[in-house]
Amino acid sequence: MIAESAQRFEALEAQAQRLLATFTRAGYEHVAPSIIQPANMFLDVVGEPLRARTYVFTDPDGEELCLRPDLTVPTCRLHLARHPRGAVPARYCYNGSAFRYQQGGDTSVHPREFRQAGIESFAAADRERADAEVVALIVEAVCDAGIGSFQLRFGDLGLFHALLGALSLPERWRRRLQHQFWRPEAFHAELNRLTSAEALRAPALKAEVINRLDPEQPTAALSEVEHYLERAGLMLLGTRTLPEITERLLAAAADAREAPLPAATANVIESYVAVKAPARAAVRELNQLWRGHRIDLSEPLRAFQRRLDDLDDAGVITDEAEFSAEFGRNLEYYTGFVFEIVVPQLGPKSPLAGGGRYDSLLAEVGAPVAVPAVGSCIHTERLLAVLQGTAA
Amino acid sequence: MSEKLILALPSKGRLMEQCASALARAGLSIAKSGAVRGYRGEIAELPDVEVNFVSSSEIAHFLQQGTVHLGITGEDLVRETIPDCEARVSFLKRCGFGHADVVVAVPICWIDVGGMADLEETSQIYRRVHGRPIRVATKYMNLTRRFFAQRGVAGYRIVPSLGATEGAPAADLAEIIVDITTTGATLRANGLKVLGDGVILKSQANLIASKLAPWSDGARRAKAAILARLSSWDWGASASPQAKR
Repeated sequence: MIAESAQRFEALEAQAQRLLATFTRAGYEHVAPSIIQPANMFLDVVGEPLRARTYVFTDPDGEELCLRPDLTVPTCRLHLARHPRGAVPARYCYNGSAFRYQQGGDTSVHPREFRQAGIESFAAADRERADAEVVALIVEAVCDAGIGSFQLRFGDLGLFHALLGALSLPERWRRRLQHQFWRPEAFHAELNRLTSAEALRAPALKAEVINRLDPEQPTAALSEVEHYLERAGLMLLGTRTLPEITERLLAAAADAREAPLPAATANVIESYVAVKAPARAAVRELNQLWRGHRIDLSEPLRAFQRRLDDLDDAGVITDEAEFSAEFGRNLEYYTGFVFEIVVPQLGPKSPLAGGGRYDSLLAEVGAPVAVPAVGSCIHTERLLAVLQGTAA
Repeated sequence: MSEKLILALPSKGRLMEQCASALARAGLSIAKSGAVRGYRGEIAELPDVEVNFVSSSEIAHFLQQGTVHLGITGEDLVRETIPDCEARVSFLKRCGFGHADVVVAVPICWIDVGGMADLEETSQIYRRVHGRPIRVATKYMNLTRRFFAQRGVAGYRIVPSLGATEGAPAADLAEIIVDITTTGATLRANGLKVLGDGVILKSQANLIASKLAPWSDGARRAKAAILARLSSWDWGASASPQAKR
């Protein structure tokens, strides 16, 4: 993209000031975290896929730095600098540049240098209320800016976690499915493996070790694996430890002895993932699905409904909002409720705004305990393009 | 501007020798020319071709930018260097030499890890124990990211490595590596094994055309002349796929 004109710069700034005014009026403190961030900590948190799109450089002192690829992590760091314990309620808003390499080239809808205007709410005790407050404020801000028609899309990883929690299955399978949720193909493959007795009993690796391990005797397993390595003349190399290797072998040993996941259980998981309906109808659909399988998930569903009610109370019309159980699959640091605002001018692949709950991020950035957090940001170049009628 | 076609050839090492002898077999005699410290050359049989001798990785850059029309270099370097490779270059011919596999290798003592599917869970546990994701030492950052993404592996961090990558796990600089290998002997000597489905690319030297170079009529004619010569070139006859590195 060619350098922006002063006119366009001014238009973006004026728009940002209006968005910030909406946020500060609602009680969010305006903050301006640093653009240049330490690369190591930042990139450990965002993961290699976003790292691939982050501009990283080394300064003359040899320090590895990056241009921030978003403002959420810098805002978390700013909060922790003020409150090292983390769990102090705070609400922040910001407007500033973020930088990402764009594979298709630098375009007006996907610029490599863009400005995010957003809000973050930390340590609010009532999670659903905080979720609803964030959505309502972002909706208010884009409406104030002049957006007339838009669609809300919701997802909720919390419901998926609750479903796994309610089903009877070994904890390690639960963790694995939760983790694989991000990768639909791997998720599906894992579910298939768990339902097949044959696949469970045929560990691909080192059957001669695995068959000797008793999942009930982890300490004995440790020395069993150690002896196996010694006999095979294999020295431990690098930083990964014997207990880590043993843990995975023990999991394979336990899988080999486990009864396969009943097909009905796999079905309810697959049926859940396939749910896609207007939000209120989705609640009915989920209730039905779960009643059919005699699972009690009334508590998390009530929480979901309460969030919708709070949104209605805040004046956000949720009738047209779409719930998709799969939505949120490509956004790795979120842990619960997620949402997006999409407009026809930009299409579903380039949301105008988005956000959600990320209850583990503050701890990953250095808070000593998990701190509930929810936030959202508006893609301000896209907002301006839609308002000026120049969106492709 | 010059109507000449610019052909970039490796300036040093085994790849340079293999290029020279393969072109000689096709009846093309390459001679270094001029006083420019031997970085320029010409082909007696094809007067419209100018030869530039540059390092293999620079050839990939020049092809990407279109500052040369043709080049012979490793497919691994081209796919690593040029993100949207198919849009910028075309692979015209495999040369039959310069074989090297780009592979994912882990310590042999990781008896619980046999394939890419094991890495994600391994990394999760590693993160819980060590407080950071698994590190992958490599000079192939782009190939690694693309391959790991295709295989659904996200929990890792790349550590750029410019040489002696196979020593990184022993030196505690990384847990696993992505590197080139021909026989796997160097990896084994360093206590590493290739994952069962960990071959990212079976690479060899290729004759490659830049789509962005200024393709004048003269350059097009020279390219056709080169290809005509090379059509009789018995690609791969002299070098077995297991050629030593």
